[in-house]
Amino acid sequence: MNPVITCTNLTHHYGKRLIYENLNFSVPEGRILGLLGKNGTGKTTTINILNGYLKPSGGECTIFGENIRHINPITKQRIALLIEGHVQYSFMNIEQIERFYASFYPKWKKEAYYELMDLLKVAPRQRIANMSCGQRSQVALGLIMAQNADLLILDDFSLGLDPGYRRLFIEYLREYAKSEQKTVFLTSHIIQDMEKLIDDCIILDYGKILIQKSVSELMDTFKKFTFKIDDAQPSLPADNEFYNPAVYRGNGELFTFQNKEYVEQYLHKHDIEHSQLMSESLNLEDIFIGLTGKY
Amino acid sequence: MIKAILYKEWIKIRYLFLLAAVILMAFTAYCQLRIGNVISLRSAAHLWEILLTRDNTFYEAMRYVPLFSGVLLALFQFVPEMQQKRLKLCLHLPLPQNKIIGSMLGFGVSLLIILFVVTYLIIFLYLNPILAPELISRVMLTMLPWFVAGIAGYAFVAFTVLEPTWKRRLLNILAGVAFIRIFYLSGYAEAYNQVIVWLLIITLALAGLSFLSVSRFKDGVQ
Repeated sequence: MNPVITCTNLTHHYGKRLIYENLNFSVPEGRILGLLGKNGTGKTTTINILNGYLKPSGGECTIFGENIRHINPITKQRIALLIEGHVQYSFMNIEQIERFYASFYPKWKKEAYYELMDLLKVAPRQRIANMSCGQRSQVALGLIMAQNADLLILDDFSLGLDPGYRRLFIEYLREYAKSEQKTVFLTSHIIQDMEKLIDDCIILDYGKILIQKSVSELMDTFKKFTFKIDDAQPSLPADNEFYNPAVYRGNGELFTFQNKEYVEQYLHKHDIEHSQLMSESLNLEDIFIGLTGKY
Repeated sequence: MIKAILYKEWIKIRYLFLLAAVILMAFTAYCQLRIGNVISLRSAAHLWEILLTRDNTFYEAMRYVPLFSGVLLALFQFVPEMQQKRLKLCLHLPLPQNKIIGSMLGFGVSLLIILFVVTYLIIFLYLNPILAPELISRVMLTMLPWFVAGIAGYAFVAFTVLEPTWKRRLLNILAGVAFIRIFYLSGYAEAYNQVIVWLLIITLALAGLSFLSVSRFKDGVQ
């Protein structure tokens, strides 16, 4: 599959602070990719760079083969963007905003927008500024769906949505993206949502990509191992294959892509007395914490 | 698509535009009442005498009204774009960036020009039966710098509001105040006759400074 988004050696600094260096990734056509990372790892920075609102310190990104700094207006019609905080023209009402955007996009689906708006209990002439945070979010998402773009870039799409609508939107978005072969690149703070939605994920750590894999592969291969050890053992020796090894009150834990034999060998190699070595499968949120740590 | 941008701009500033129109008309009416009073209490000849011998045009109360209108119009048009960096939405529209910003600025300047031309027309229609063409021209030329200052105020406020950093915004304000001050340096009638065309050309050229601010915004300057 052709990549819709490609970033090569992407580097960015804010002043002297390095956000990341030589990031390389691509988003294949028809896939839903989630960009995950703790606060300050550069998720929104990446979205801003991709949309041409920020000049990166180095590297290059393309969308549909065009450099993101000089995207043709016709290509822009194929890209739907949700800005962090679901920012929209709050001085308009839901009819005015639909009328405004409809003239820019030839594949505009008015009914998709109004289907979602019907779920809101607001008057058609109510100004967006006078709506609740969640209702404003739903207006922004409705506009994104109506645009019927080939690529959807959604920055923190679940912000402000109540659990019911969040679930509904995730199901709707996944079904829509899969049936219409849309490519989606998104970020969210709520990782449980991502598990039901995304095909692939990139996990950002400070300054670099920690991992880029399909969610199914990640869930099949990444495990948490726990074991009992001597209280005198304050910490576990470092190993390149382990993420965030730790000891809490005689309970050892570590996260790894390796199997149980590898962990046993490691414990023997370092003469660590242990018992009850067990592996656990993890959900995406636990995988995220396992890879990036709790702090 | 340009029509849609103008629609959005109109939604933002329609009430302010109406308010500016009411304020301009109110000040015009006030000034014309003063002229009417002079005529009814003394005579039209006395009015002519004042206009010929003094620097009073009877419209001095309007000196800062066009500037006030231009500044407010730009604030109402561009502050909502910069709140929550909403300008990103505009720049994501499938149109060339300069066309989008040019339409927004062009719309604002056009509305101001409409307001000012209508005001001028009302003044002309009122003075036409009272004054000689030379005196009408004296009044109008004396007022012209105030209206150009209104457009300059709009241009500098747009330039300042669209600028992404506060440090540069302060510099832009200082530059704007210094430039606009030029229009108010002299209180003499027709003092700007020799330079007003140049000032108008420079003002319209300065309206283009906003493109610089938007370019800095797009580069993510912080």
